[in-house]
Amino acid sequence: MSVNASLKTPLIALVGPPNSGKTTLFNALSGQNYKTVNYPGATVEYSFGKILSRFNLEAQIIDSPGIISLVPNSPDEKVAVDALYSIPNYGTPDIVIATVDASQLSRHLFLVKQLLLSNFRVVIALTMTDILQKKGLHISPESLSKKLGCEVVIVDGRKKDSLDPLINIIETIFKKSENKSIPSVYNRLSDKNDLLEFYSSIERIESEVLSPLAKGELPFNIENANRQLNLIADMKVKENCYKIDETTVKIDKVLLHKIWGLIFFFLIMSVTFTSIFWFAQPLMTLVDELFGMIASEAVVLFGTGWLGDLIANGIINGTGSVLVFVPQIIILFLILGVLEDSGYLARGAMLIDKPLSKIGLNGKSFVPMLSGFACAIPAMLAARTIPNRRERLLTIFIIPLMSCSARLPVYALLIAFLIPPESAWIGGVLLSTIYVGSIAGSVIVAAVINKFKKRIIREEDSSSFILELPAYRKPKPSVVISNTVNSAMIYVKKAGPIILGFSLVLWFLTYFPDVNPEIETEGHTEEEIVQLQSAERLSNSYASELGKIIQPFMTPVGLDWRVGVSLIAAFAAREVFVSSLALIFKVTGDDDSIQESMLRSMRTAKIDGTDQKLFTTATISGLIVFFIFAMQCLSTVAVSKKETGGWRIPLLQVVIFTFTAYVLMFMTVNGLRAIGIN
Amino acid sequence: MRTAADLNFGERVVIQDIDSNHPSCIRILEIGFTPGQEIELINKSFFNDPLAFSVRGTLIAIRKEEASCIQIS
Repeated sequence: MSVNASLKTPLIALVGPPNSGKTTLFNALSGQNYKTVNYPGATVEYSFGKILSRFNLEAQIIDSPGIISLVPNSPDEKVAVDALYSIPNYGTPDIVIATVDASQLSRHLFLVKQLLLSNFRVVIALTMTDILQKKGLHISPESLSKKLGCEVVIVDGRKKDSLDPLINIIETIFKKSENKSIPSVYNRLSDKNDLLEFYSSIERIESEVLSPLAKGELPFNIENANRQLNLIADMKVKENCYKIDETTVKIDKVLLHKIWGLIFFFLIMSVTFTSIFWFAQPLMTLVDELFGMIASEAVVLFGTGWLGDLIANGIINGTGSVLVFVPQIIILFLILGVLEDSGYLARGAMLIDKPLSKIGLNGKSFVPMLSGFACAIPAMLAARTIPNRRERLLTIFIIPLMSCSARLPVYALLIAFLIPPESAWIGGVLLSTIYVGSIAGSVIVAAVINKFKKRIIREEDSSSFILELPAYRKPKPSVVISNTVNSAMIYVKKAGPIILGFSLVLWFLTYFPDVNPEIETEGHTEEEIVQLQSAERLSNSYASELGKIIQPFMTPVGLDWRVGVSLIAAFAAREVFVSSLALIFKVTGDDDSIQESMLRSMRTAKIDGTDQKLFTTATISGLIVFFIFAMQCLSTVAVSKKETGGWRIPLLQVVIFTFTAYVLMFMTVNGLRAIGIN
Repeated sequence: MRTAADLNFGERVVIQDIDSNHPSCIRILEIGFTPGQEIELINKSFFNDPLAFSVRGTLIAIRKEEASCIQIS
């Protein structure tokens, strides 16, 4: 703890069990004005913000993942707990606000008592008192405060003025300028009986601070049901408090039903998928066209020299290829947010836990895997909710196999080559097959890795699935929206610099050495000349040198160095494959769509130096298979490194997936040829 | 010994003990499954696993494997 810590802005840490209203309170206190930070070397992410100026309180506030105990149960929880004791640049927080769901008092006071025993300066924020009221119960904050020896306030993060008492208390504590207490590490109660004694002391407090509402205070509809409340003794209070939400049970009768539950699950998943692809498509096209427009304006402005090319192709198109996925990410996270806030996501995880556990995953792997179909980067971040380290690493491991949206343009081009335009529906079937194939592939990989888990993913802790199913609630739009915006920002910040950086490297490799090739200009439009020039330039570039190195790998799969260059380019980001093919095959954008003219040149392309056709049914099928499996996204590699805390997993992913992709491509191409399909 | 994994729907029972040899023992206790608490099996997943119990006014889903360390009568 640094000496001058007292001179710094005070720091408030928000701590609480999952579903205790912590994030709602955090958002209400800090508004949109927060940033997420990653602790150095740790995978746990914190939201860090300033208390809104309208509260007139100069303080920083930090939100951490929900914990139910100061005794960590998983590596992630360990980091969360450790960090509570030592926040970078701050040391220990000046005040800990502990959120406690008033209707879950005994469970949530468990953590509070641990915090108090560890000497933290705790203020309890009692949430969900309305739910308690519906149960016909009243809580006395004064009495709770006396019993625990810390301040207790009722808050409602959804109502702004309800936060004033909390702010006042914090202010008073700051003014008192008492010496900052130094928290001690909480030791696990070694004995089960000690733990039970701990719990019963909490239960005693619970029964002392809760009392039945007087008749007049009862909400009308509850009144009849609780007619005998007058006779209530301690037991009755407990019984009421421990009654579960009836509406939730009723909804669960359908949503967790053996058959209906599964039908709804698949329905909800289908709607999610369809929305990610269909609703996002027009927006993605818009972003794409917008950046295309800006890029061509840039060429006009800066000329066709290296500067113009760098700005147009390197920077602007690079930025575009980052931002083009934002619509998909926003839609995915909006849906996930609604599902989570309503309480369904926990049910989905419960439904799918059993099959996933068979392949070494966990019900909690479900959300990250689902997100993987939009983009692997936020998906890997979502894997943090999995408490078991091995299961989390395995989830991160297979996420790149979920066919992310960057593969769509590639699939679209390759399918268009195989399928005649008049029978587009076959294309649809083929695309679905590719998706089913990618899911099957990931299942097989997970199962195989799981078999070798001791060698590939070390550090085994026992697998478990313990998940609270929160009561169904109406999702709060502002919470869902702010979380969505936050997730999109994380994607842009994490993936952005990497994709952009690589786009620049790729630009350099394809542009230099800067030769000005002589080309036939007669009979060509100006635009065509530019295209021909860049194609010629490419075949003399450093990238082509690279491509020629991998020629020996391309020959066995019926391809040549030009496709090799595109594949290398696709390692930066998959969708680059299409644009680099366009460059290489001298596509001239005339009146036809780019895809049309690309397909035309692809159909006539010959393998370099031979008379054999380059693109055939066999080689195109091979390429599709390659794209399903190959690990070709540098941003994913970078995030995988960050999330797994080392190079081991990302390198294994690159090697295993790329090798598998190549072998399967080889088998597909030569297998098809063997049965007479070329 | 019957455990929570053997419960039938709608049966309300009181927890007798938690098997302290089970690796999830402490977490099961911490989350609220303590001796003396009343629990009820509310839902089963499609594959009969995990199971969702009502305990202390909330629903908690746990695997059968974990439920088997919760001893009832």
